[in-house]
Parts: sequence; C-alpha cells; structure tokens
Amino acid sequence: MAFYDRMMSIDRRIIFLSIGLAVALPVIWPLGIPVQVSEESRSFYREIEKLKEGDVILLSIDYEGDVMAEVDPMSVAVMKHAFSKNLKVVALTTYAGGTGIAERILNEAARNYGKTYGEDYAFLGYNPDWSGTILRLGESFRATYPTDQHGRVTGEIPLMKRVETYRDISLIVSISGSGLSEYWAIWAGGRYGVKVISGNTAIQAILIYPYYQAHQILGFLGGLKGAAEYEVLIKQPALATKGMDAQSAAHGLMVVFIIVGNVGFFLARRAHRRARAQGENA
Amino acid sequence: MLIQFFTPNPLFLNIYNVFLDWKQVVLGFTYILGTWSLIRYHTRKIQRKQENWQYSYVALTGLVMTVGAAAIWKTATGPYPWLFDYVQVPMQSTMFSLLAFFVASASYRAFRARTLHATLLLVAGCIVMLGRVPIGSYIAGDIFGVHISLVEISDWILNVPNLAAKRGIMIGVGLGMTATAIKIVLGIEQTYLGKTD
Amino acid sequence: MSGGIGIWVAAILTLAIFSFLYKDNPFFKFAEHLLVGVSAGYYLVQYFFSAAYKKLVVPVFVNHDYVLVVGGILGIMMFTRLNRKTEWISRYPVAFYVAAWAGYVIPSYVQVRILQQAESTIFNPAAVSLKEAVSLFVLLIGVVTTLIYFYFSAEHKGALKGISKVGITFLMIGFGATFGYNVMGRISLLIGRFQFLFADWLKLIR
Repeated sequence: MAFYDRMMSIDRRIIFLSIGLAVALPVIWPLGIPVQVSEESRSFYREIEKLKEGDVILLSIDYEGDVMAEVDPMSVAVMKHAFSKNLKVVALTTYAGGTGIAERILNEAARNYGKTYGEDYAFLGYNPDWSGTILRLGESFRATYPTDQHGRVTGEIPLMKRVETYRDISLIVSISGSGLSEYWAIWAGGRYGVKVISGNTAIQAILIYPYYQAHQILGFLGGLKGAAEYEVLIKQPALATKGMDAQSAAHGLMVVFIIVGNVGFFLARRAHRRARAQGENA
Repeated sequence: MLIQFFTPNPLFLNIYNVFLDWKQVVLGFTYILGTWSLIRYHTRKIQRKQENWQYSYVALTGLVMTVGAAAIWKTATGPYPWLFDYVQVPMQSTMFSLLAFFVASASYRAFRARTLHATLLLVAGCIVMLGRVPIGSYIAGDIFGVHISLVEISDWILNVPNLAAKRGIMIGVGLGMTATAIKIVLGIEQTYLGKTD
Repeated sequence: MSGGIGIWVAAILTLAIFSFLYKDNPFFKFAEHLLVGVSAGYYLVQYFFSAAYKKLVVPVFVNHDYVLVVGGILGIMMFTRLNRKTEWISRYPVAFYVAAWAGYVIPSYVQVRILQQAESTIFNPAAVSLKEAVSLFVLLIGVVTTLIYFYFSAEHKGALKGISKVGITFLMIGFGATFGYNVMGRISLLIGRFQFLFADWLKLIR
C-alpha cells in the first residue's frame, strides 16, 4: 500500500484512541488557556445583569440527560447569577426527563444562596405539548400549571401570587437541548413581546444566529464554549471552563486528521492521474 | 385558533384557551400510549423468541422497577430519583458522547475536497472548529499590514454567510410550513390521518 | 477511589456503553435495554402525573373546570388505536390536535420566521459604518440567492442558474459552520463523561 493510501486509511480504533486521549489528558492535566468571550454571550449576560432585585425570570430547562454535559453548566451559572442578584426564579421544563435535572439545579442553588422555595423560586414542573404550554402561559400561568411539580396548588405559592402572565415576567431564559429556544422566541417573544435569551447546544446554536441578528433572541450561549464564556463573565469558572482545554485539543486533532486525509487524497489523485497519463502514452 | 391572533374578542380567546388545555391533555395521553406500544413490542419479542429476546426482560424489568418505585416511595425522594440520577442520565449522556468518536472517524474518512463547494465547506468547518475554541485566539497574524485573527474570521463566517444561509433556509421552511398549515386547515392535507390519496 | 454506590453504578454503566466502541457485546446490550426500560418508566410516571393528574384531576375535581373533561375524553379516545377495529376513533383527537396546531402556526410563523427575518435583512447603508455595510450587503445577497436556489418551480438555467450557484456557495459555507459546531457539540458531551469518570468516580481531579 502506498503511503498516501495509508494516509487515507488510518484504522478507526487509532482515531478513537487519539480522540479519547486528546479529551482525557487535558481534563486530568488542564493547560489553562484563557477563554475569550463572544458578543453573543456578553449580550446574554447583560440581559440578566441589568435586571433589578425582585424581578422575576422564567427559566425553562428544556433538555434531558443526553445533552446535559453541554448545557447543564449554563443552567447552573444562570441560577448563580440570578440568586446573586436576588432575582426571583420561576422554573419549568418542557421535557419529561428535565424534571429531575431541574430539581437538582434549583435545590443546589437554593442551598448555596439560602433561598426559600415558594418565596424566592418555584418549580412548576413538566407539561406535555410545549407549543401549547408556551402559548397558554401568556394567558394564565395557573391554568397552564394548576399545581407545581410537587403537587402544591400554584395559586397558593407566594411567588406565584404575583406571577399570572408574561406581563409579570421580566425575562425568559430558555436553556435548550433542541429547537425550543426558537419557539420561545416565536410564541412568547413574537406574540406576547417578552424578552427572550437562550442557552443552546452547539448544534442548535448555529441556528440561533438569525434570531439574534433580528433581535428576536437578545443573547445566547452556544455550547460548552458559551457556558465557559458565561462562567468567566459571572466570575465563577466551573465545569465548562475546565473543559475548554480538552475542547481545544480535540478540535486541533480533528483538523489534523482531516488535513492528513485530504493530503493523502490529493497525492493519490495526482499519482493515479500520472499513472493514467503514462498508460495512455505507452 | 387563527382568528384569535387578530381580534381581542373574549369569546375567541376563551375558545383558544380551552383548546390549548385540551391539546395538552391529548398529547399527554398520546405519550402514555407510546409507552404502552413499547411494552407491547418487548412482550411480543419475548413471546416470539426473536433475536436478543432475553434483553427484553431487562427493558421490562427496568420499566416496572421505575414505575413501582414511584408508586411506592413517590417521586420526590427514594429509588425513583436515584434511578434517574445514577442509571438513566449517565447512560443517556454516554450514548450521545459516543458520537464524538464516530464524528471524528467519519469526518476523517468522508471529508474530501473533491470540488470547489466541498472545499468551501471543509475550510469553513475547520476555521469555525478552531476559531470557536480558546486556541483559536493564538492563531493570528498580520497580512499586508492588517491584523487578522482566526477568531475574527470565524465570527464573520458565523454572522454573515452562515447567517445568510440559515435565514434563507428559515424563510423557506417558514413558507413551506405555513402552506402546509393552510392546507391542513382547509382539509386539503390529510396524510396525518393516515390517508395517502 | 471512593463515592457512593450510585457513582459506582453510574460509572460501570458508563463503561458498559463505552464498550460499544470496541464492538457490540452483551454488556452494552444489557445497559442499552436497561436504559430503554428505566427511561420509559420515568417518562410514563411524568406523563401520567402531568397529563392525567395536573391537567385533568386537579382542574376538574379541585377547580371544578368541567370543560376539561372533553380533553380527557379526547385523550382516552387515543387508546382506541390499540385495536384495529376501533382505531378510526383515534382520528378525531389527532385531527383536533393537528388542526389546532396548524391554526396558531400560520400567524406565528409568518410574523416571526418570514416577515421579521426579511425585515432584519434590509438595512440602511447610511446608518451603519462601511465595514458593517459591506457585511450586511453580503448578508442580503446571501439570503436572496439562497432563497432563489430553493425555487424549483422553474428550471435552473441561464441567470437563474448563476444566481443559484451563488446561493449554493453560501449554503456550503453555512453547512461547513454547522459541521464545525456539530463537532464542538459532540466533543463537549465526551468531555462531560470524562469529567464524571475522572472527577466524581476516580477522584483524579477536583
């Protein structure tokens, strides 16, 4: 086998092992490369930063365990930011598997900041039919969620006595593992005029740029990098920031593999063309 | 549902609210039906002794265990949240993390700059991959006296050509979805009822 | 090495899933089917609690909102799909759901996905800097040529073909950016698992 053919046919187990090492080694021994903050993340941060004490934000935790690694740091950072500013948080989820995740994040943040359920935050839980939920909340929170996740009647929760429609909400923060953020912008933002910011997986974040440019979403975090940027802005580096060195190493290795494959491809193509030309001349 | 967007008439608003509530109940029951279909699939697999039928016992045991835990110990504490935190979430996360390896292998094998457009795709992909991670900030230099960094190029790609493409697709999809929705409302489109003609 | 039994269970199941990278094996199959069962059970409890209890039992019996009984009847009608002779009944709740969705999609999508997006593409060159104007002009060209590419009602020849090719160029750059973000997303998920294994399970890092 010619060397250029070898360049194009590296055993996939070597690729798997290389990617595994490129991620694992920086996780264990971080390099400490500083994280640069993008304008989109800055806008996300600014929208929460300019709220006043006592303002209510609606936090929608729209993801499950499959993409947790990417967006969970965003939710955790949002709770830290919100509670450090003494904002009130009404949380909900449009994913059945998001309930356990939301409970963990809310309870941990409440413990760390000394917040009380019902007074400082409330978790309304899961509702089937996300589009219907987003629209129904615009008319009545209590009709959309007759009880909270724990079975307590919504109207009896002190915080919920002052939150009935989107008019009582200062900002919607959608942390989503799918396209849910777009629908918050379309229905809550488009129909009811509420401000929306979003945290998305990298795969979804690429689709948010048109909404951001059109000011339908006022700021967004894209993937683990976006979460790391937000942690830098709130001055509480955590899991996302620690993962950035591994992200850099893995991306660099991916580009190297792609270049190697393409160099092999071009060399092989040139060799085959020469062989064909020689064969025609013979 | 369409009319109430254009009129503040309380009658249409009340009908809209009632319909939204009904929709949520219908979908919830549909999801429950979906779970029943899963139970039926695995039960039949066991009855017919199809390939890997033994593992269907594992699936059904997991389901019964979780529902039983919720029924006996409720959902706030106990085995139900434990199963979620230490069984479901770790496995779900790991399943999707496998894709990192496969995307690396597939990119290496399939990504070839055979044509101009494929080259554009490849170059844009590599620039964004490096520009969006911290090492990208170190890839910079002066060209003809102008300072250029990979991060700035990556940002421009994301905010201009990428945005243009995504917006074009979004408007196209928006037009298509609107046309389909109009056809559904007018009864022209009935494939969702299982009718093919 | 330490951690509660839960961490060990999670770590072993994680490694069982990772074993698929070598090849399909009984450990992976066991873990996979366990995931299916536990997830289905978890979701079933959530759906039952949210749809049947929160949206039906509480509003009807506590708030006396009896109009929701109709929603419950429609929901129960969905179960007629389980029998071939009665599955035609389930078309009614399906038709209601799809038609209601279609009704509110029309104005929302037209407003947000079409009109506002088109509005944001148009700009006043006098109101922005030269650098911004160039970028916004490129954006405008990109959106228009991409839309023209997707116009298949006329054959792409002559001027239409040329414009479509420009549109394809923008699409390819967009797909390249999508690929870059796709890779970023997948690698991030792997980082998360390694952080769990090395920090929570093996305690190699803080």
